[in-house]
Amino acid sequence: MTNFVSAGLVAVLQPRPPDMNARVEDSAQEIKRLQRCINDLVSLLALPAIWSSEPSEMVALLLEALLRTVSLDFAWARLTDPVSETVIEILRPSESRQLKPIPKEIGEVVGDWLKRREVGSQLPPKIQLGSENLSIFPVPLGVEGEIGIIVVASERPDFPTQIENLLLSVATNQASIGLREAALLREQKRIANELDRRVAERTAELAATNEELRLEIVERKLAEERLRQEEQELKRSESHKATILDSSPDCVVAMDHEGCITEFNPAAERTFGHRRKDVLGRRLADVIIPPSLREKHHTGFARYLTTGKSTILARRQEMTALCADGREIPVELTITRIPQDGPLAFTGHIRDITERKRSEDALRSAHAQVVQSEEQWRSVFENSAVGVALADLNGRLIAANPVFQKMLGYTEDELQQLSFIDITHEDHIEENRSLIGELLGGKFRQFQIEKQYRRKDGQPVWARNNVSVVPGTDRMPRFLMALSEDITQHKLSEEALGKARAELAKVANITSLGVLTAAIAHEVNQPLSGIITNAGTCMRMLSADPPNLEGARETVRRTIRDGNRASDVIMRLRKLYSKKEPSPEPMDLNEATREVTALSLTDIQRSGAILRHDLADDLPPVIGDRVQLQQVILNLLRNGADAMSTIDDRPRELLVRTERHEQSQVRLSVKDSGVGFTPQTAEKIFEAFYTTKRDGMGIGLSISRSIIEAHQGRIWAIPNDGPGATFSFAIPCNPIA
Amino acid sequence: MGCRIVLGMGPSEDRSDVGRQLLSVVVDDDESVRESLPDLLREFGFAARAFSSAKDFLASGCVDETRCLILDVAMPGMSGPELQQELKSRGQRIPIIFITGQRDEAIRARVLKQGAAGFLFKPFSDSDLLAAIKTAMQNA
Repeated sequence: MTNFVSAGLVAVLQPRPPDMNARVEDSAQEIKRLQRCINDLVSLLALPAIWSSEPSEMVALLLEALLRTVSLDFAWARLTDPVSETVIEILRPSESRQLKPIPKEIGEVVGDWLKRREVGSQLPPKIQLGSENLSIFPVPLGVEGEIGIIVVASERPDFPTQIENLLLSVATNQASIGLREAALLREQKRIANELDRRVAERTAELAATNEELRLEIVERKLAEERLRQEEQELKRSESHKATILDSSPDCVVAMDHEGCITEFNPAAERTFGHRRKDVLGRRLADVIIPPSLREKHHTGFARYLTTGKSTILARRQEMTALCADGREIPVELTITRIPQDGPLAFTGHIRDITERKRSEDALRSAHAQVVQSEEQWRSVFENSAVGVALADLNGRLIAANPVFQKMLGYTEDELQQLSFIDITHEDHIEENRSLIGELLGGKFRQFQIEKQYRRKDGQPVWARNNVSVVPGTDRMPRFLMALSEDITQHKLSEEALGKARAELAKVANITSLGVLTAAIAHEVNQPLSGIITNAGTCMRMLSADPPNLEGARETVRRTIRDGNRASDVIMRLRKLYSKKEPSPEPMDLNEATREVTALSLTDIQRSGAILRHDLADDLPPVIGDRVQLQQVILNLLRNGADAMSTIDDRPRELLVRTERHEQSQVRLSVKDSGVGFTPQTAEKIFEAFYTTKRDGMGIGLSISRSIIEAHQGRIWAIPNDGPGATFSFAIPCNPIA
Repeated sequence: MGCRIVLGMGPSEDRSDVGRQLLSVVVDDDESVRESLPDLLREFGFAARAFSSAKDFLASGCVDETRCLILDVAMPGMSGPELQQELKSRGQRIPIIFITGQRDEAIRARVLKQGAAGFLFKPFSDSDLLAAIKTAMQNA
């Protein structure tokens, strides 16, 4: 730069051609001019110091400096901003001159001139701007004008002078330098920024990539961990399975589609006595299956392979198997197909059941023994002569044998719904319950009780029970057992006996004399009443004033009559009830009957009954005790009358009939129309102490029976077709007749 | 038929005045009773009639006039207690004295409950009868 400047300076400073006069004046001006020039140069050289890096600013400053140093009309620049690559046009018009054309126009004209020049036309450096012609001077920026161009203009025709040229060049040079430096600086900055950015970017990228890698690594590590765990798990499961197989007490054998052994677990080794390695690959049939069964196995296996059907697959079978030492053992066997792709394979689970079979047999025989024993005891229970009933501790019946069932009238099923209380007669429940309580409490081992059950049909039945507790076992709690004997009959006879004794005692108090007295009192009361009444009347009549002798006589007459009557009755009754020995004699039953009916007629009539006779005319005589037979007839008449005493809806009729009976006998019947009796009581009637009368003693008919039987006869009673009954007796005729 | 037929012996000053010639009736199927009692009743001063059955008495037409009835318990046909019921249902308030040969306390209690004025067991004395009649007439 200095050289250029120096060269320029030198050019400037070269003395001028002769024109001496003018030379002195010119020299002074020249010196001033040169001084001015140098100042301008210096200031131009100082420009860079104030220049910023902004190209448009720099150029603007330059243009302004040019305007200051050189007399211009305008200074115009066009440059390309290296950063934004926009074209910048800057115009600085001179302040002294007012240019009419606007900057844009200047720019256009100049631009146009430049264009033409570029094309190659040699144009004079002049432009037309409005109405003025201006001289222009383009100065390139940059070494080859790549930066831009400055165009200065002036209206002076001699523009630019040497000095102005110099100044312009220098200034432009400076500007170029500055611009270039600025550009360089900018570029540097840019590059630095770019570098930074790139570095940052790269750094970020690297960081991101790092992070990704890191994550990837973490993931991979996790995956590896997982894989490792799974492998471990698998190993464990495998070894577990292996352990199961190894430790299984059952033999597990596997074979392939050819029937060759592929697995032989330790249990199989032990059971069959072969070592695993010895049998692997050998045919199962040859190793384990007894010779006798091999054929069957082969056909079965072949069939399965061809048809897919098998009778033994997946089914538990029992068969015999062969051991290494030649023994055949009973086994339980299940063969299943192993589900897998590829050729068939099978697993067999085999269990040695020798022991089991043995214990089964033992069990069976023990069972048989138990069953037999049970049957024996059952038979005892069923066929026991006494009733046996079992009950739980609450009294609910568990079992009852046939005798008990019959005694109670229930089936065993019905009894099992009931408890002891349900079937026991109310009178005995309390005692029974308390005894059971004491028994269960351990007060005694067993107790005996006489009690009444109530049968299903409601009838009571007496039983003598032996009750004990049967101790429990592990399987069975303790329960009650009752041995029960039906003592109804026994009780009844006891009762009857007791009653008979009581009655007998009662009867013992009433001697036949007593009976006689009663009879007399009954029969004699009437005449006696009459006597007393008449006597009383007689006394009153005699006490009258005057005495009623006629009346008194009448009363006395009646008195005597009644007295006689009474006497007769007594005599007759005594005859009837006297304790004479029976004196059989031939007698007429009809006559005896009439006597009795005469005697008891009043009695019978008093009871409102009608007495009729139907006495056979041709009745043969009998041998018998008159008095006794009359007793019987009287008894039958009395009974008949009594049977009708409550009847008021029909006539009370007594019919006495005598007739021949079965060739050699004579029958007397007394028929009444009374209450009758049921067929069930027919037999009982003649038993001692049987009576339906409230005050009766029930002796009459039983005594009658004794009398008739003593006469070799029979006495019986039949209900009538209508109401009432007919009592009859029949005694043999006198053989002579 | 009139009921003022007085049987018997004619008036006597010594006769008891209980009867005052009122009608007393005896109903008993026993002949000796029918024989003897009316005489005694006349000695008491009654007019007396006797019937052998309750039916006869009811049909006699004397019922309304009867001031005292001596009635047997056990009779064929309608019994004494039944006649008592019959008279009651007819609204007849005749004092009844039952007589019976049977010792039956139950019947005695029953007829007394049904309103009988007296009850005598045969044989009874004439003074017993008189006492019963007096009581009956007083309470009537």
